[in-house]
Amino acid sequence: MAVGSGIMLRIERLALRLLTALDAIVNRLYSARLNPLYQSGTIVVVLYLTIVTTGLWLIVFYRVAAPWESVAGLTANLWIGNWVRGLHRYASDAAVVATLVHAFRMFAQGRSWGARALAWVSGGLLAVLLFLCGWTGYVLVWDTFGERLAIEGARMFDALPFLSEPLARAFTGERPVPGVFFFVTLFAHIGIPLGMGVVFWLHIKRLERPLLLPPRALAWASVACLTAIAIAAPLAMAPRANPFVLPDQIPSDVFFAFWMPLTARVSGGTALTILTAGLIALLVVPVFTKRRADRKPLPSVVDEDICTGCVQCSRDCPYGAIQMIERAGRRSMLVARVDPDLCVSCGICAGSCAPMGVGPPGRTGRDQLAQIQAFVGSPERRRGEIVAVCCEHGAAAYRSSLAAEGAATWTTDCAGNLHTSVIELLLRGGAGGVLVLSCHPRDCWNREGPKWLNERVYHEREAELQARVDRARVRIATVAAGESGDAVAALRAFSAHVSALALPMRDRSAEIDAECERTPVGGRA
Amino acid sequence: MTIAPRIVGILLAIATAVGLARASIVPFSPHGEQAVLRLAWTARPERIEDCRQQSDEELQKLPAHMRQSVACVGTTATYRLEVRWNDEVILQQTVRGGGLRHDRPLYLFRDIPLSPGEGTVGVQFDRVESVSASPHRDRSSDEREEARHSTAIDDVRRRRELEERTRGREEAIPSSLSLERRVRMISHRVVLVTYDADLRTFRMVEDGPR
Repeated sequence: MAVGSGIMLRIERLALRLLTALDAIVNRLYSARLNPLYQSGTIVVVLYLTIVTTGLWLIVFYRVAAPWESVAGLTANLWIGNWVRGLHRYASDAAVVATLVHAFRMFAQGRSWGARALAWVSGGLLAVLLFLCGWTGYVLVWDTFGERLAIEGARMFDALPFLSEPLARAFTGERPVPGVFFFVTLFAHIGIPLGMGVVFWLHIKRLERPLLLPPRALAWASVACLTAIAIAAPLAMAPRANPFVLPDQIPSDVFFAFWMPLTARVSGGTALTILTAGLIALLVVPVFTKRRADRKPLPSVVDEDICTGCVQCSRDCPYGAIQMIERAGRRSMLVARVDPDLCVSCGICAGSCAPMGVGPPGRTGRDQLAQIQAFVGSPERRRGEIVAVCCEHGAAAYRSSLAAEGAATWTTDCAGNLHTSVIELLLRGGAGGVLVLSCHPRDCWNREGPKWLNERVYHEREAELQARVDRARVRIATVAAGESGDAVAALRAFSAHVSALALPMRDRSAEIDAECERTPVGGRA
Repeated sequence: MTIAPRIVGILLAIATAVGLARASIVPFSPHGEQAVLRLAWTARPERIEDCRQQSDEELQKLPAHMRQSVACVGTTATYRLEVRWNDEVILQQTVRGGGLRHDRPLYLFRDIPLSPGEGTVGVQFDRVESVSASPHRDRSSDEREEARHSTAIDDVRRRRELEERTRGREEAIPSSLSLERRVRMISHRVVLVTYDADLRTFRMVEDGPR
């Protein structure tokens, strides 16, 4: 079932508009490099490490036989207990927020279906595990909030048909809550994060070179901010759980108990059904965001007559979708083979292939050159004008603003998809300069587009921009979809720079490398 | 980057952190001003059985570990619960044993909100089935039958069987239980009515083990 063209696409577009506006604001406040919205996934990893570290410390003081008393003793100690517990709690809360931001980002950018569905589903499971971890953590304290969570959990569990003796029985006041309950809860609280490690492996399984941590400054700033608030606003203990007292107010954590006001008024079975339905709705998002066959971008294909077996496309693919396999009796020992189930049609392989033998249909290097030849041959082209190459997911949003500044604009699916021969051909076609407006490196929809483009233009990564091309006439700027002002400023600066150069000569013939640099199989560039 | 956005960024980070801390202790009021009468107990329901003595021939056909001198078929009893507050019926409920065949212990857990104040709580718990499907059996009748038999079961097993049947009968909740007590219901407090398996009676607890 693919209903990506319907309501879901409209919601996606709406979400993207909101995200674009937020990104632009946050970029202005923190710079693109330290934009926490770009780094939401990696921030969760930092917070996870913080939670584990502080949790290891807290567990030293926790006693199963006296849960509330041991936590109260710890909380009373401002030096070694209170702020660590505060950091543990606030990092957990922040992890929920960062997880939601990350999921929202992936959804808005249409990165939830196809080959990315595994990451979406495993991400959903990670969110559930995080949620359960917080739940068990609060129960361990055994204050009024912990008791309430335990009762709500027991009510839901008891709605299931497989428990012969209801769990809620433990909290009625008939007898003291057994110590084994806290032992099992503690076991779950420690075991769940270990399980998260396995699911996390699944989450990033289809990514090559996954970035696990944010820039160091952002990581430390996040932890420092949470530590500061843990010190500035010391945690207070809620009253001890007592089954014979119904507290007037329970201090509840909205990040982990947002559902409680809703489910408190319904039966355990209904509450469980609501939460399960929410989880299922989250997990089936890829089914509804999946593009219809006629709108689905096609996976890359390999022209085996052109492929030289250089392995560059395999190295550059951010999703590990290209394997090199052996072949006999042809022009090379190896040939690239694309796994269509893993390919997200980012087109980065098209930019990586010097002889232009791989890429999504209609977007290979050769296709790009054919389109560019038509572009430079157009009577509208002026000698010496600036051509702004815009990423479809970023600068393409304000092509008209760039055109108003006198630039000719050309759109590419991703900066990483852009073949360097296109840049060369644009300059040979009489362009005064080529300004590539790529997305910010941590905001690339295809993960590594700006990185590879930069490497190919300035660091001779295969398929590199040829040495004969005047680098003074080429510039790469990173801008987000909501940063038209920055893009226009970059264009003006580049125009001023290019205007100081002599007018270029026109030579519209395209030169294509038939071979690329051979590198040993399995080696890294 | 100019200084103004940087300051705004720092202030926003601080505000986010403060908001995070505040949101982690939002007061939630799940209970009104009322008091609660809590009914919570677990007990084994009575067995309503048709029992008969197995003959030596029948026992010989069974594997040694499955031989029982008395074979019973039947079901578990159903109970009617009625709760009154100042002579007004506030709850009526039929209670059965747990599990699909209702042969597990019965479990009851109900919170009944009541207005604070003094009053009389009445709890009545009666077996619905008025007539047992099998003639009433007690330990002496069991022992008389055991004495008649049997060569197929050794003495140790026979005694264990007898003890198990006796224990099963003694562990079952009585066919009728009642409690009537004057009590002061206090706002935000719970009064618990539970079944004491040792005394085989209802018990009211106004504060209990933590």
